[in-house]
Amino acid sequence: MADESILSDDFIRQLIDVGEVDILVGVPTHNDAKTVEPAIRAIQAGIVKTFPRERAVILNADGGSNDGTPDVIMGASIDEQHRSFNGYTLRTLHAISTRYANSPSNAAALRTILAAAELLRAKACSVICPESSNIEAEGVANLLRPIYRDHFDFVAPIYRRHKFEGVLLTNLLYPMTRALFGQRVREPYASEFAFSGRLASQFLNRHQWNEETKDYDPELELTVTALSDGCRVCQTFLGTRSPTKRQSRDLVDAMRQTVGVLFSSLDGTFSVWSAKTASQPVPTNGPEFELSVDPLRINRKQLKEMFSAGVVELESVLRSIVSSATLSELQQLARADEDNFRFHPELWVKTVYEFAASYHKAVMSRDHIVQALVPLYRGRMFTFLVENRTASAAEVGNNIESLCLEFERLKPYLLELWNGRK
Amino acid sequence: MPEMQDALWYKNAVFYQVHVRAFYDSNGDGVGDFQGLAQKLDYLRDLGINAIWLMPFFPSPLRDDGYDIADYRSVHPLYGTLEDFKSFLAAAHERQLRVVMEMVLNHTSDQHAWFQESRSSRDNPRRNWYVWSETDTPYRSARIIFIDTEMSNWAWDPISKEHYWHRFFSHQPDLNYDNPAVREEMWDVMKFWLDMGVDGFRLDAVPYLIEREGTSCENLPETHIVIKELRAKLDSEYPGRMLLAEANQWPADLRPYFGTGDEFHMAFHFPLMPRMFMGLKLEDRKPIIEILSQTPEIPASCQWALFLRNHDELTLEMVTDMERDYMYDSYARDKTMRLNLGIRRRLAPLLEHDRRRIELMNGMLMSLPGTPIIYYGDEIGMGDNVNLGDRNGVRTPMQWNGGWNGGFSNADPESLYSPLIQNPVYGYQAVNVLSQRRSEHSLLSWMQHMINLRRSTPLFGSGSIEFLYPKNHRVLAYVRQQGDQAILVVNNLSSSAQAVELDLRRYKGKILIEMFGGNLFPRIGDMPYLLTMGPYQFYWFKLRRI
Amino acid sequence: MRDIIVGELTQAAQEIFRGFAHLLPRLIVMLVIVFVGWLIAYVIRAILRSILQFAKFDRLSERAGASQLLTHAALPTPTELVSRFVFWIAWIGFIMLGISVLGIGGLQEHVERFFFFLPRLFVALLILFFGLLVASFFARAILLASVNANFPSPRLLSISARTIIIIFVLSMVFEELGVADQTVILAFGIAFGAVMLGLAIAFGFGGKDLAQRFLENRFLRERRMEKEDEPSPL
Repeated sequence: MADESILSDDFIRQLIDVGEVDILVGVPTHNDAKTVEPAIRAIQAGIVKTFPRERAVILNADGGSNDGTPDVIMGASIDEQHRSFNGYTLRTLHAISTRYANSPSNAAALRTILAAAELLRAKACSVICPESSNIEAEGVANLLRPIYRDHFDFVAPIYRRHKFEGVLLTNLLYPMTRALFGQRVREPYASEFAFSGRLASQFLNRHQWNEETKDYDPELELTVTALSDGCRVCQTFLGTRSPTKRQSRDLVDAMRQTVGVLFSSLDGTFSVWSAKTASQPVPTNGPEFELSVDPLRINRKQLKEMFSAGVVELESVLRSIVSSATLSELQQLARADEDNFRFHPELWVKTVYEFAASYHKAVMSRDHIVQALVPLYRGRMFTFLVENRTASAAEVGNNIESLCLEFERLKPYLLELWNGRK
Repeated sequence: MPEMQDALWYKNAVFYQVHVRAFYDSNGDGVGDFQGLAQKLDYLRDLGINAIWLMPFFPSPLRDDGYDIADYRSVHPLYGTLEDFKSFLAAAHERQLRVVMEMVLNHTSDQHAWFQESRSSRDNPRRNWYVWSETDTPYRSARIIFIDTEMSNWAWDPISKEHYWHRFFSHQPDLNYDNPAVREEMWDVMKFWLDMGVDGFRLDAVPYLIEREGTSCENLPETHIVIKELRAKLDSEYPGRMLLAEANQWPADLRPYFGTGDEFHMAFHFPLMPRMFMGLKLEDRKPIIEILSQTPEIPASCQWALFLRNHDELTLEMVTDMERDYMYDSYARDKTMRLNLGIRRRLAPLLEHDRRRIELMNGMLMSLPGTPIIYYGDEIGMGDNVNLGDRNGVRTPMQWNGGWNGGFSNADPESLYSPLIQNPVYGYQAVNVLSQRRSEHSLLSWMQHMINLRRSTPLFGSGSIEFLYPKNHRVLAYVRQQGDQAILVVNNLSSSAQAVELDLRRYKGKILIEMFGGNLFPRIGDMPYLLTMGPYQFYWFKLRRI
Repeated sequence: MRDIIVGELTQAAQEIFRGFAHLLPRLIVMLVIVFVGWLIAYVIRAILRSILQFAKFDRLSERAGASQLLTHAALPTPTELVSRFVFWIAWIGFIMLGISVLGIGGLQEHVERFFFFLPRLFVALLILFFGLLVASFFARAILLASVNANFPSPRLLSISARTIIIIFVLSMVFEELGVADQTVILAFGIAFGAVMLGLAIAFGFGGKDLAQRFLENRFLRERRMEKEDEPSPL
């Protein structure tokens, strides 16, 4: 815990007034006045319909909005007449808001929410994205119910996506967390999820909240903590997702927040993931994946070019990271033309694992290692797009599944690298 | 079981003092026994305690409630056999309960075989096992302890025509610890029980082991040598077992009994207990703070044993005359309640059956530095019977339910070792385990909750204590600390509501979290922290920085 | 006259012998010091080698890029190099000490100057080492950033950055050593200024489209959304 408190006196007073709660829904915001109101309505409806007797609070963690977002949220909460549903609450449904900093930081927002959850001893907590303009009451309830009623510790969302959306998730994050931690959580990096009070306390007190980590997203680490601490995890389907701010980030940044975080979390959890041998499905509420296959125009050529250019230009860097066999295969691939280009799964998995092992050994600055992976990922993305150009949802699903199995199959290779031939 | 392996287990323990005779009778002879006690171990485990201190159960003429021992290696037939004891011990260990038993080192019963031999003639090989003298003049400076019954520390033995030394009753001759054979034999006796698996001993009357002319014959250096020897042997052959000293002395005189961690593990903090009662009646924290400020630092591996009441009278030996008079006037107006230099009443009657005061006293017991000991029956608020002689009024049968003999025994009520408490206020129909179990708000349920909270906070057992001095003298407030954890305890000793302002600037920025309900209290700032408290209320706050 | 010559010769010879006799003990002492110094320096080298091996000094200098430089120049590994270097410094120091014992006047001054020089040498080497580390780090950072931002010729940018930093570091080292410091500084100043001016002109006139795109990317993030040809990776 940092020396300076993250909770202001005013916020503490609001917490004292609210007192102990059963349900806490956190909404981190920054200049979301235009989109947040439907999300708040959905949260209220979800709580009222599914948890009418429980003590609940909606907590807005604001990162210095200057468009009046907190006022919109507080205004939405106190106006009973405008509620479009016919709900009736036995209890007061609290809403409180705090400004955690003058500039947005996902880590600080989550930390505020976790701290409040611990102090109020909430049993079930959830984080909802303010841009979720199409989230419904049922979705909110589906996130909270497994925690509150069925004693799960963590609920991850599943969204309906386009088959080409979220390639980083389907080609790296999902298969790798699945292979290493043994549980098939499709969206380990999510902006909407639910967790138990117990997991909140654990994560709050164990995680290093300091200046360096202020600017990165802790969600993936929260997922990894849930998976590695023996928590009960499940998933729930939430429908189509509205585009969020973090999706518009550039690729390097995205990889830092996800792949970089994943790699660094492997150090502390080695004893857990090294022991898992196979993956199990997690209980899922709703379809496990739904892909839309509308045609989509994509500039694939640039991906291939950036891959080839990257492999060539970064040779000196890659030489220190991957094995020489892998490097020569990558170089061979870079020379291939578009029709013969195939970044096959085995090579991809080996590359990723070698990167993970090099990250663990810190053969160079860790941030540089992550950056070096970016062009290689582009190559993989190219192959994925080409192979699934005309595939149906089921076929895409199978391709992802076989990639996952490849990750699982080569896990001993990662362990070998980790324990250090180098 | 890692918990059972912890060498410092006694620092975070909650003890339960019980007499096997008074707990539960399994064979219908009117006297509690070991089989009965074994049957009630689940109750003790559910209560939350983790160590049992057994009163003496040796064969004995029972003229001093078993502290007059006639055979050190056996069990009194009324309470069962040695096998019964062994089964009980195994059952207790199975439930993670440790067992500490009495060991009276200082004296035996005059019925003990050793004394019978010793007194038979002046040339008997065991003559030197006791302290004999032609006249009754040696050791003049030693005081008489049982002033209500004894006139001298010497008794005349008509058989061998000499005087023998006894610090307690005349039928309890003192053993001679200057005799190496005695020391060896007593260690052998202890080994007998240690080999069986007993977790520790309460060594009765340790200050009086050795006598020297011209001294008070209490706390002599030679006595400490005897103890050091015992402890050294214990540590080398039975690590993890514990020695508890019964030494009713001022704190400064008590300190030597810890040595440098090479004598006793634990000792009773006798002077604190009467001052807690005094502070409550005076509605002033002064006596409590004074005695604790005078309490010396003890080695890190040592621990104080704290208690509110026990099988003896509430002793007022360690207070001034003025204080003693005040205590008599406040708590024992009726002279029949006074015995020796104390008051022979149980906790609930002393506190006039006032639930709030009982909770407050227990709260202080559990939050002051030391290991708390609960006297059997006080967890349900049992009453006493001053009309029973000596101190037997506080040793009546345990009240389990409102039925036949209070659930203690199936024997005829007239054949019980002691009559039950029967009046409408404290009688077994009103105060018993069964009825209190059914309510979440009974004293028993509250004690369970309290003990559980205490045991899950090791800070109370091993942390430091720093007193706060708010201007309102009716409030006793202190902070217990260990490492970066801190707990603030605030007690209102007054019978009326109080407001108190505490200077908590040292802990500025921390949030108070009340430990029983878990609710937040405002953050500590620069201003004095205002708390309002109901009569006899107390708070335990965790100080949390977040 | 013969007597005088003989007498003078004898006297001269005696003086020489006397002088030699004065000198001999000191010479012996000097040789002893030199020998002991060699032993001590040898021991120091061995200890230093073990310490550096234990601290994985080679790995560290690999990261600094120093190892590559050394292998290019056909020099031994950094650990070995440092150990030998320290050995020589130590031994030369002892030799100097020995010489000073001889009591030959003018040499004292040189000995003193040598010992004053040592700390500056040490500082200069430190600057060099850390300078190489920094150059290596920034070169790699620039390489990665330009590859990922799809800049043309990323390796060129990277090498230029590394070169500039190394030149800068070298000039600092030379200044510290007091070797041709004026010349080096001036040369560096001129070169650096010229490069900067050239880049400015290039950016301003020749690369204004590139500059515009670059600035857009940096400061107008929201425009990203129109890139429908690359779906979100998350």
